[in-house]
Amino acid sequence: MVLTTHTFEIIDHTADLGIAVAGTSLKELFQNASHAMMRIMVEQVPVETGEATQISVQGSDLPDLMVRWLGEILYIFQGENRLVTQAEINRITPKHLDARIRTIPLSPENHEILTEIKAVTYHQIEVIRNGRLWKARIIFDL
Amino acid sequence: MNITLEKVDPYRWLIPKNGAMRVPGLIFSSDRLMTHIEKDPCLKQVANVATLPGIIGHSLAMPDIHWGYGFPIGGVAAFDLNEGIVSPGGVGYDINCGCRLMTTRLKADEIRPIIKELVYALFKDIPTGVGSTGTLHLSKSKLKDVAVQGAAWAVKQGYGTAPDLEKTEDRGVITGADPSVLSERAIKRGLNQLGTLGSGNHFLEIQKVDRIYDPETAACFNLFEGQITLFIHTGSRGFGHQICDDFLKEMNRKMATGHQPFSLPDRQLACASLKSDLARRYLSAMACAANYAWANRQVLMHWTREILLRTLSINPDTLGMNLLYDVCHNIAKEESHEVDGKPVNLCVHRKGATRALPPGHPLLPGIYRSAGQPVLIPGDMGTCSYVLAGAEDAMKQSFGSCCHGAGRALSRTQALKKAKGRAIHRELEDIGVFVQSRGKRTLKEEMPQAYKNISQVVEVVHKAGLARKVARLRPMGVIKG
Repeated sequence: MVLTTHTFEIIDHTADLGIAVAGTSLKELFQNASHAMMRIMVEQVPVETGEATQISVQGSDLPDLMVRWLGEILYIFQGENRLVTQAEINRITPKHLDARIRTIPLSPENHEILTEIKAVTYHQIEVIRNGRLWKARIIFDL
Repeated sequence: MNITLEKVDPYRWLIPKNGAMRVPGLIFSSDRLMTHIEKDPCLKQVANVATLPGIIGHSLAMPDIHWGYGFPIGGVAAFDLNEGIVSPGGVGYDINCGCRLMTTRLKADEIRPIIKELVYALFKDIPTGVGSTGTLHLSKSKLKDVAVQGAAWAVKQGYGTAPDLEKTEDRGVITGADPSVLSERAIKRGLNQLGTLGSGNHFLEIQKVDRIYDPETAACFNLFEGQITLFIHTGSRGFGHQICDDFLKEMNRKMATGHQPFSLPDRQLACASLKSDLARRYLSAMACAANYAWANRQVLMHWTREILLRTLSINPDTLGMNLLYDVCHNIAKEESHEVDGKPVNLCVHRKGATRALPPGHPLLPGIYRSAGQPVLIPGDMGTCSYVLAGAEDAMKQSFGSCCHGAGRALSRTQALKKAKGRAIHRELEDIGVFVQSRGKRTLKEEMPQAYKNISQVVEVVHKAGLARKVARLRPMGVIKG
């Protein structure tokens, strides 16, 4: 399967699960990563609805920023029981990002949970530029 | 780093010291299991762990080893308290994931006709599933009590009785838990998940003792052939996951700013010197999560008892449910071990490995002192689980540790592919196992073929002298998230 900016690839892992995502820019890469993670966890996430909120994330470098960014999205799901339906990165540097996200309450009747992700890990984390594309690999603990 | 393996004997392989490794790696396995292990990147992880400062003896791997993040799952590593480190990745996100086994006076023949009714009743009233919340809603102050007191908190609230604590590893509490080091996020996630099973490979199982290997020890453990037992496998839920995440991030941040004098082959091995304040705070927080998990299993055991009494319309004496033992398999603990002939306190990490104390060990409750510590090894829901007893050689070879389960053989993606078009629940029913699960894909992801052969894993620890086989348990009814 050729990785494009509209798809993500599941990375097979004995005990856990990983994704490979791409983007034409860092903004697009980070947005795609959060959407991919939501699609792994929940069947048919509604698109672009819900309450808007601003979040900021700091990291020590791009891989750390990615882990912390997805960690924020995961906390909103696991800790606050809300689905992130849209994530728009407003500003991103290798150590900081500002984003606007939309969330809706998680409803067991309407939202089928596919996979429980316990955490976003640093295992084999990678955020690199490859030609015209930015690419990332992230492994989740299940 | 190149990984070379040297076979020492039929059940031990060595990874000789190489490159940055400070100690050799030692893998307990068999020729058959090694064919899987050699294809898995876990051996590199065993070697990576061997590079950590202050590691003593060997970087150990149990026969159920597979690739984890940083530390392999099925890994054991002990560190000197002055020179060594503690690593949250060496414990795992599900701090004190573990299990407990309850014995009863019931016989499989009398339960078999009503197994579905029992499973439905358990599935209805035991909270299961991803992010499941229970009927126990804690205030922040009560959560802090749970975090400090562990299983004893649950007993004080009327979930079970004091003798249960004697049959729980460390009496169901690690001292030194300090809730003041917890993040608000961890606290928030702990408020509503006490008394929940979770999802994935967590389960509650009704089993039958189908074979006794060691009659004398089985009698000491109150196990008999044809007996109904119940097995609970779960951990610290979102509370523990958040704590691990919080401290991995803090340790990574410290390492990124050059606060450690050594480099790491893998970021997930982020760690802190055992003499540091950061290590103290992590261990205090880890203790909070461990204690929460013990309270969780204590509550779930109590509710299981109540559901059985109600559904079967029998009295407690007829049911005769008692805790055999409770073990954890994701933990870091200060323990005394013999190093170069002298007792030394070490920080022992077990990630997907179980403590296995031999007969005579002072930490054992009186009733088990002559037999050795009960070691509970859950298998997959289609085959069997085992009860073992800690053996003398475990202390000499593996810091008193042995395996924790079957270990996955297939990834979830591979399992889903193999299960396509199959009705796993019907296949299980055909072999006499009735399952209820909440998640759409749980049964396929967790199907028996997804796991290694538990009997082969247990045979290794038995033959290597880490733990002795006592009894085999077959599943009859299972609930999963």
